[in-house]
Amino acid sequence: MALAVAGPWFAPHDITAPRTAPYASPGPGTPLGGDQIGRDVLSRVLVGGRDLVLASLVVAAAVTGTAAVLGAAAALRPRFGAVLDRVADTVILLPAVLGVLVVGLSVPGSGRLPVVVTAVVLGIPFAARVTAAAAAPIAATGYVETAQAAGESLFSLVWREILPNLRATLLTLLGLRFAAAVGVVATAGFLQIGAQPPAADWALMIGENSDGVLLNPLAVLVPSAAIALLAVGVNLACDIAAARWRPKAVRGR
Amino acid sequence: MIPHRTTRVLGQLTRRVVTLVALLAITFFAVEVLPGDAVVSSLSQDASDAEFAARRAALGLDQPVLARFWHWIAGVFSGDLGTTARGQHIADLVLGRLPQTMLLGGTALVVTVLAALALGSLCVLRPGGRADRAIAGTAMVALALPEFAVATALVVVFAIWLRVLPAATGTAATSPVALVLPVIALALPQIGWNTRVVRAAFGEQLGTPHVDAAVLDGLSRRRILTHYLLPGAAPTIAAAAATSVGMVLGGAVTIEAIFNFPGLGSVLIDAVQHRDAPLVAAVVALTGALITVVLIGCDAVRAWAGGGR
Repeated sequence: MALAVAGPWFAPHDITAPRTAPYASPGPGTPLGGDQIGRDVLSRVLVGGRDLVLASLVVAAAVTGTAAVLGAAAALRPRFGAVLDRVADTVILLPAVLGVLVVGLSVPGSGRLPVVVTAVVLGIPFAARVTAAAAAPIAATGYVETAQAAGESLFSLVWREILPNLRATLLTLLGLRFAAAVGVVATAGFLQIGAQPPAADWALMIGENSDGVLLNPLAVLVPSAAIALLAVGVNLACDIAAARWRPKAVRGR
Repeated sequence: MIPHRTTRVLGQLTRRVVTLVALLAITFFAVEVLPGDAVVSSLSQDASDAEFAARRAALGLDQPVLARFWHWIAGVFSGDLGTTARGQHIADLVLGRLPQTMLLGGTALVVTVLAALALGSLCVLRPGGRADRAIAGTAMVALALPEFAVATALVVVFAIWLRVLPAATGTAATSPVALVLPVIALALPQIGWNTRVVRAAFGEQLGTPHVDAAVLDGLSRRRILTHYLLPGAAPTIAAAAATSVGMVLGGAVTIEAIFNFPGLGSVLIDAVQHRDAPLVAAVVALTGALITVVLIGCDAVRAWAGGGR
């Protein structure tokens, strides 16, 4: 992830100007070969991750944060929880990729913002269902009931009593949402929604260079591996960090 | 009590249909409200005003919004999906491709469920053992992989370097071999996710008294698995598999593009490239309907496993 964010400063060549023959094999100066018009694949890989990482981070953080608050509120207010359930039942019928396609189609040429917004909106209901399920046992504990009886506001109940106890769940959720966000944002990029040529973008590179996969497989393989590493790495890191926060007795569940 | 259970199942069924109609409404109005018009995108810019008006009338776009919504939604349920912005019959176009996607997605889903059950069972044989930890760790990696990244890696390794499996399926998936790589690419992330769910669901069942009793009675492992663990874990597993249906159908869009597979996903990409809103709406509607059918099946599993509860 650090490499993806800092990558642009290390790119040896201009990402828009051809350096070698189209789909050239790796050679001196271009260790990963050339892409469909002969641009340096290494430079484009180094540059092409930053936007994906940032967009995915925004999506994952927004989804997890909103879902945490909504889920905790749903655990405290069953009627709100029922509404949330219905919404999640509806949203599950629309795979995020399709939703992004519809919005990308309707708002052409507006960059990544529609993709990010759609991914957030479609991600929240399901994530909120997860947090609501995790918050339900906490909402039923004595101290939360006491605080509720003492007239604490819903906001303070959510913020002070429930969320601190959901840390481990939320961190795991953040990792999963990040992986999901990478999937959606990258799929959109692959279908040329969001990132537009000639920008360097890992997902876009896979789509652009797939015709020349026989000539220079690295132009496709390296961005694929980068995307996979990003999603897997962040997800695993969150999971390991969450395991540390989880009390030992609960870990077996 | 049977009558009570019947009403509950009927209630769930109604709810599923209502949510589907809600999704259809959202789709219709999203396409409607957001900028971009099928007429403007399908005619060249120098077309005359009269041509625009004629195309509008042909597509029924001069009718009031609510009338068009009613017409569309009635059409979805009766199988008449209208015409694309380019004047083709959507039903012919989409229903001709649907079997291909059903074949691809259905195979991926079956592979997912079988693999997840098998791996989950392996895990539960010795919880905390080496196999359990290895499978759980690998599953955590697999579930985060985007389908198309898996697909490109598979193509490069198996079709280009090793030359053992074909990459492009071309016109029709006539040979089963051509399905291998796309199915693996679609199923792998879902196997990761579902294996974790199966493992957790089995693990939860292991802690229950009636399973402990069966273990103490010395019943065979297989019998414990199929007669004691599976019924209790079935609702959770079915719910996870149902979630995977949406993921598989979403993933099929890119997988079909990579493998040049003539299914619903390639129709959708084509529709998006031509900014063909009616066609996109139809594909979304059809996908929603497919997922609804699976969810109803999932409700049935839950009702069966839940018994009279």
